[in-house]
Amino acid sequence: MLQIEKVREGDVLILQLIGEVDASNSVLLDQSIQESLQPEIKVVVIDGKELKYISSAGLGVFMSYVDDFSERGIHFSIFGLIQQVGEVFKILGLDRVIAIVPDKTTAVALRK
Amino acid sequence: MIKTNAIPLGKISLLLAILFWLALLLVDLVRIFGVINNLDSGISEEVTWGLEILFFFFTYFLYRHIFWKSKQVDFVTLLWRGASTGLFAAIAGLLTELIFYALGDSKIGKDPFLQTIFYHLNFAWSSVFLISTALLWKHLILYQKTKKVVKQWQVFELSMLTALFFIFFNHNNFDYSFLFGLVILLVISILLSANLKWIPYLKFKEKWKTLLFLFLILLSATLLFYRILAYGNEERFQINLTDNLFLMALFGFVIVYGLFSFLVTLFNLPTSSVFEQKLTEALNFQKLSQSIQPEENEEQVLDILVDSCIGASFSDGAWIALNPTEQLKIQNPLRSIEPSTLTELTALLPAEFQNWSLTPTNEFQPYSVRLKHPRYKSALLVPLLVNKTLLAQIVLVKEVKEGFNKEMVNIIGTFARQACISVENHRLLNQAISSERYQEELKIAQRVQKALLPLKLDHPNSFDICAYSNTTDEVGGDYYDTYQVDEHKFVFIIGDVSGKGTSAAFHMAQMKGVFQSLIQLGLGPGDFMIKANSALSKCLERNHFITASIFELDTHSQQFRHARAGHIPTLWYSAQTQSAEYIVVDGLGLGIVRNQNYENHVQEIAGNYQPGDFLILLTDGILESRNDVGEQFGYTRLKELVESYPQLPPVELQQAIIDSLHQFVGGDGMIDDDYSLVVVKFKERK
Repeated sequence: MLQIEKVREGDVLILQLIGEVDASNSVLLDQSIQESLQPEIKVVVIDGKELKYISSAGLGVFMSYVDDFSERGIHFSIFGLIQQVGEVFKILGLDRVIAIVPDKTTAVALRK
Repeated sequence: MIKTNAIPLGKISLLLAILFWLALLLVDLVRIFGVINNLDSGISEEVTWGLEILFFFFTYFLYRHIFWKSKQVDFVTLLWRGASTGLFAAIAGLLTELIFYALGDSKIGKDPFLQTIFYHLNFAWSSVFLISTALLWKHLILYQKTKKVVKQWQVFELSMLTALFFIFFNHNNFDYSFLFGLVILLVISILLSANLKWIPYLKFKEKWKTLLFLFLILLSATLLFYRILAYGNEERFQINLTDNLFLMALFGFVIVYGLFSFLVTLFNLPTSSVFEQKLTEALNFQKLSQSIQPEENEEQVLDILVDSCIGASFSDGAWIALNPTEQLKIQNPLRSIEPSTLTELTALLPAEFQNWSLTPTNEFQPYSVRLKHPRYKSALLVPLLVNKTLLAQIVLVKEVKEGFNKEMVNIIGTFARQACISVENHRLLNQAISSERYQEELKIAQRVQKALLPLKLDHPNSFDICAYSNTTDEVGGDYYDTYQVDEHKFVFIIGDVSGKGTSAAFHMAQMKGVFQSLIQLGLGPGDFMIKANSALSKCLERNHFITASIFELDTHSQQFRHARAGHIPTLWYSAQTQSAEYIVVDGLGLGIVRNQNYENHVQEIAGNYQPGDFLILLTDGILESRNDVGEQFGYTRLKELVESYPQLPPVELQQAIIDSLHQFVGGDGMIDDDYSLVVVKFKERK
């Protein structure tokens, strides 16, 4: 089960992921990001505090946006990952291409 | 060819009946001859009675046989046969009368022999008519057989049998016992006459014919009855054959049942259309409920449905409105309605009629609405729901106000539901057929993919290797392979494609191609990853990646080189320290960074191995398997498990890990993720 809460704070878009991202609902995550990408958005932040599990299909969604975001000058980061999920990002090496930060303040501050 | 089993019962009965009638005639003639010549013929009355009974018996058998053979013949034809027999008997009787009237007082007219012959002929015709009609009534009475009716009939037959032999006790006297017997038989006849269930099944036209034939039968029976009464009053015959309880009771039965049938048919005439209507509805219902064959289409069901609804409600017009999102086409959606009228009527219907997106909260029922139209005054809307979506709506219109009563609405509702079930079944059947085809395709895919994983793993004597792979779907994205570079150099790899199922399986096949071609170039693990990343970047979809872990072993120098691309770290058991560790080395998954930059994200390490050491390469399916409280199998549990079995040969160690995993997951032991396992164990040097 996955629930996505969207919050807009100026040009900052925060997506809170609640539950698990697996092969069956990764499309939902993709759609959610796609829909919220208005041109004025400069920062996209994933709130992973409530993310319990992410499968490779879910990671694939984030990965597919990395180049897109950097081309559009959008700062993309993930914060608040629980240890188990953070480990998955790390093993895959995604922490080298996506900023994984401890909290929201750090995430928003990345733009400066 | 000689048929041994078919005894011509009918012919034998006919022959015997005729023979006994002739005997009866002969006996009477002999008796007359005796009287005329003042001789005692010496033939007692009992002989005549006996012969008469035998004649009745065989006539009865003859007609029983005839009815048995004509089981499938419809009522009207049977009645016609009865009527024609009756007419023949009655006309023959009248003709006899006429002949004797014409002969007048001439010598021939007074001839006792001639009179006796004609008397016997009339007796025979009357008996044949009565017995055949009684059997016809039996056929009608037992049309809807119940135990009770059969019992009633048996009682009647038994009483008639008794009446047949009654003559031996009564000696043809019209006394109280005769009257008593007659009354009893008449009462039974009246009771039997309540069984008239065949009448409602007649169509309107058939009822008229039935009335006519019943009238003819009744007329014939009455005429014959009067004739026989007239005979009875004459004293000119030696023995009265006709003043017989059996024959009188038969008359009673034939006339009573005939009269009842006539009256009931007559009173059934006005309501017969209702019964016919119900019968048509039942047939329509049956048509609707027969599931459609795959090659047939849903439109036919809707066609039948509309016709059935019109029939059930006597509507003056109807049309089907189809949900535009459904892929349906109907040849002729209008019934007795002009296209221009359709537009007018649609405008008059409630707004929700054209709202196809309306999601039904409960099951839709047909509902009637008033129309303010110059011609049509009321309409009934019949929504058709298939799979919780509105497939179509049928609109029935009538030229009278409030033209749809409760019964009509109910029966139409039933029709609609049945039609919807048929359509739904049809769709399910088609789905089942196509899904079966997909299943077949998937089985092929599964076979092909299985062939991509090596059956034989390249390895020298100095180490043992075994591998296991499990997919939850038919196909999966896990991969392992081996390659022997030269005499001492061996490479093995394990990989995991992101996602699941068919797409993962295709990418896994690409990975196999990339590995088998690049590894032949003699690339080291690090370079291999760089080249593989560059190759895969061109063929993987943007949101897919592959993780891999590769080892190159030199069995001569006992050295290894290793690189990891985002894959689960390999577990290394060292015999020397008797402990297992995950090999930590940086490396980004393949296909994540799709440019030259990848070189900076992959690392190659080298080291030595010792005999007794072993490697466990695995995919994330193992570590991420969860038990019923949501806990993952995890790194630590695997490490501890491996450390507790250092002596096991690879195959057994592999099995121990799989068993332990199943035990951990618990329940039915199903692991809902692909997982693979490669175990490599270095042998002691000999």
